[in-house]
Amino acid sequence: MSKFVDRPRYGCAMAGALGVLRAIPRAIPIIHASAGCGYNIYNGTNAGSGYLGGGYCGAASTPSSNVVERDIVFGGEERLAEQIQSTLEIMDGDLYVIVTGCMVEMIGDDSVAVAKTFADHNKPVLAVSTPSFKGNSYYGYDILMEALVKQYVISKKQKTERKVNILGIVPGQDVFWKGNLKEIKRVLHLIGIEANTLFGEGETLDDIKNSADAALNIVVSDVYASLTAEAYQQEHHIPYIRTALPVGYLQTAKFIRVIGKHFAIDENKINQVLAKEQDVYFDYIERVADIYNDVDFQRYGVVVADANYAPAISEFISDELGWLPQLTVITDFLTEEQKDLLTKRFDGYESGLKPAVRFDTDTSSVRRYLSEIWEKDSNQKYYDSLGPSVILGSVFEKELSDEFQYPLITLAFPVTNRVVFNRTYAGFNGGLTLVEDVFSSLVAGR
Amino acid sequence: MGEKVLRQIAIYGKGGIGKSTTTQNLTAGLSELGKHVLVVGCDPKADSTRLLLGGLAQKTVLDTLREEGEDVDLERVLKSGYNGIRCVESGGPEPGVGCAGRGIITSIGLLERLGAYTEDLDYVFYDVLGDVVCGGFAMPIREGKAKEIYIVASGEMMSLYAANNISKGIQKYANKGVVRLGGIICNSRNVEREVDLLKAFAAELGTQLIYFVPRDNIVQRAEIHRKTVIEYRPEAQQAAEYRELAHKIETNKNFVIPKPMTQERLEEILMEFGLMDTLEDDYRI
Repeated sequence: MSKFVDRPRYGCAMAGALGVLRAIPRAIPIIHASAGCGYNIYNGTNAGSGYLGGGYCGAASTPSSNVVERDIVFGGEERLAEQIQSTLEIMDGDLYVIVTGCMVEMIGDDSVAVAKTFADHNKPVLAVSTPSFKGNSYYGYDILMEALVKQYVISKKQKTERKVNILGIVPGQDVFWKGNLKEIKRVLHLIGIEANTLFGEGETLDDIKNSADAALNIVVSDVYASLTAEAYQQEHHIPYIRTALPVGYLQTAKFIRVIGKHFAIDENKINQVLAKEQDVYFDYIERVADIYNDVDFQRYGVVVADANYAPAISEFISDELGWLPQLTVITDFLTEEQKDLLTKRFDGYESGLKPAVRFDTDTSSVRRYLSEIWEKDSNQKYYDSLGPSVILGSVFEKELSDEFQYPLITLAFPVTNRVVFNRTYAGFNGGLTLVEDVFSSLVAGR
Repeated sequence: MGEKVLRQIAIYGKGGIGKSTTTQNLTAGLSELGKHVLVVGCDPKADSTRLLLGGLAQKTVLDTLREEGEDVDLERVLKSGYNGIRCVESGGPEPGVGCAGRGIITSIGLLERLGAYTEDLDYVFYDVLGDVVCGGFAMPIREGKAKEIYIVASGEMMSLYAANNISKGIQKYANKGVVRLGGIICNSRNVEREVDLLKAFAAELGTQLIYFVPRDNIVQRAEIHRKTVIEYRPEAQQAAEYRELAHKIETNKNFVIPKPMTQERLEEILMEFGLMDTLEDDYRI
C-alpha cells in the first residue's frame, strides 16, 4: 500500500508544468481539468514560491476548461476545443499549451488530438499530458519541457561551439530559480560560455525555440530534467552533463572547472577568472570574520531541502561556514539509484565531517530524525545539547524552529515567509547572499 | 401489515450470457405476482429494457442529462412497460470516449434525486453490463443500493471464470457492507452435465444454484418480436420456467458472502465435471 505524504513540498505534475509556463513570457497555459485545479495550484505555487504571482495569463485568470460531470461521462474534448478557441480569441500569446488534470486523463480525453485540430492557427497550440498520478511538480516540469523540446524547439544542425542550455532548475519549485539562472549564466559567461537558461531574465520564447543550437546541455541537478535532457539528445543531438547545483565559492569553482574541462578552456584563463572572483568573494566574507570569531558564530546545521539544494547547502555550511552539519533530510520521491548518487555527494567534505543523511517526504519525520541522531536530555549530569543550531529548510520547518529555538533560513519550497525576486543562492553571488541571510538571522536580535 | 421492504437486486454475469433477457423475463414473472418493479439498465448500450418496452425508443438518463442538464423530468426517462414494469436506461457515452463507469454513478444518483424509487415499489433490478471493468459498474452494489446479487452463468467455462471474478468484487463490497449473493441463475447452454457443474460451482462459492433455466429457442423468437416469453407465449413451458424463477427469487432467503475460489480450484471443478475433457476431445468448429 502506498503511503501518504505529510505536508508535501511540491505540487502536482500540472503545477510543475504551469510553473514552467508561468516562467515563459507570452506562453499561454490552458488547463483541461475540473474547476479548482488551477486555483489550488496557483495558491500553492504563488505563496510557496516567494509570491510568484500569476502574470499576464496565470493565477485565477488561467484559462481552464473547468470540466463538469457531463464532460466526464461523455468526454471533455468538445469542452476543451471550445476553451482553446476562446483562449485564442481573448489571450494574446505566442504559444498556447494545454496541460491536463487527472480526471480528464483517467477518462482518456485525447487532448493532443484536440490540439492538433488547431494546427492551422497562426500560433502553435500544443497539448501535454500532465496527470499527477504519474508524478509531482518536478515531473511536470520535465514532461512539459520534454514536449517543448520535441514539438516546439526548431531543429538546428549547426551548433554554436561554446553555447549551452541550462536545465534542472525548476521554476516555481526552486523558489530562487530566476536569480539562480541569472548567476549561473553570469558565471559561465566569465569563462566565455554563453548560457541559454531558457526562462531567465530577458529571455523569451525565441530562446527556447532556438535552443537546439547549443553544443551542450548542463543539467544543474543530479536527478531532475532527465526526460528533457534525453529529448534534446535524441531530437537535437545535444549531449548533456549533470552537475550539482553549485552554491558558494568552492562548489562554483569546481563547477567552472568541470565545464571548462569539457570545453577544453585554457586553464590559465580559468585560474584568472577564479582569482578575480575569489578576491571579490572573500572581500565580503572577510567582513563577517571578525564577529564570527568574536562571538563564535559556529553552529550545528540542519538542512531540509530537495535533491538540488540539500547536498549543496550541507556542503556549503560545512566547508565554507565551518559549521557542523548534523542532519540533512532530502525531501523528494527518489529511486534507490538516485538516493545512492545523492548520498555520494556527502562524501569527502574538506571539513572531514559528514551529516546524517535521510531521505523522507514527510515533514514530521525531521523531528524524529533529530532525536535519532542526538542523545536526548534525560537529566544527565552533563548534557551536550544540539545547540546552537540553525535550520536551513522550508517554511514547514517553522514549528521545529520554534520548538527548539533554532533560527530558520527558508530556502526550499515552500517559502511563504519571504518575497523572492532575483535573489540567488547559486554560484558565487549565491554564496554571499546565503552568508548574508544566515548571519543576519544570528544578529537579528541586536 | 408490516412495512413494505424494497428489494434492490443487481444482476451480473459475463457479457452475452443472457442477463438482460433473464432479468426482463424474471421481472415479467414478478409483475404477474402483483409486484411493482423498476428495471434500471446499467449498460451504455441501453438495451436492457427492450423486451419490456417493445423497443429501444426510450431516452436514456444520460442523454437527457447531456441535452437538458440536471433539471430532468422523470417522465422523460422513466417509461412503463409490460404489465406496468417501470423501465429506465442509464445510457452512456459513445464507445471510446468519456467514462461509462462514471455515467452509471451519475445516472443512479440522478434517479435517486428525481424520486424514481417510489414507495410503492417492491423491486428494483439493476442490469449491469457484463464486464465490471471499474468502480462505476459496482455502483449498484454500493452501500444503500442493491443488497442482493444474482449472477447469471452457464456451463461454459468462461462464464464461470467471469462469475468467480464477479464474486471477488462482491466479496469486497460484502465485507464492508450489506450486499450479499443470492445465488447463481443458470441460463443453460445445453452443455453436458451443466446442472451438476453449476451446483458444484455454486456450492464452492458458498451459495446456491437458485434456478436452472433450460435452453429454449422460443426465447430468441420472443426477442425478435421485442417481447419477453411471458408476454409472447404466456402458455409456453419456458414462460413457466421464468415464472418459477420469479417465485424462487421472491421466496429466497439464502444470502451469503461468496467465497471466490482460486483459478486452480475452478479448473479442478471444471475437470471434475468433464468440461475440460470434452473440450480436448471435441474438435468440431
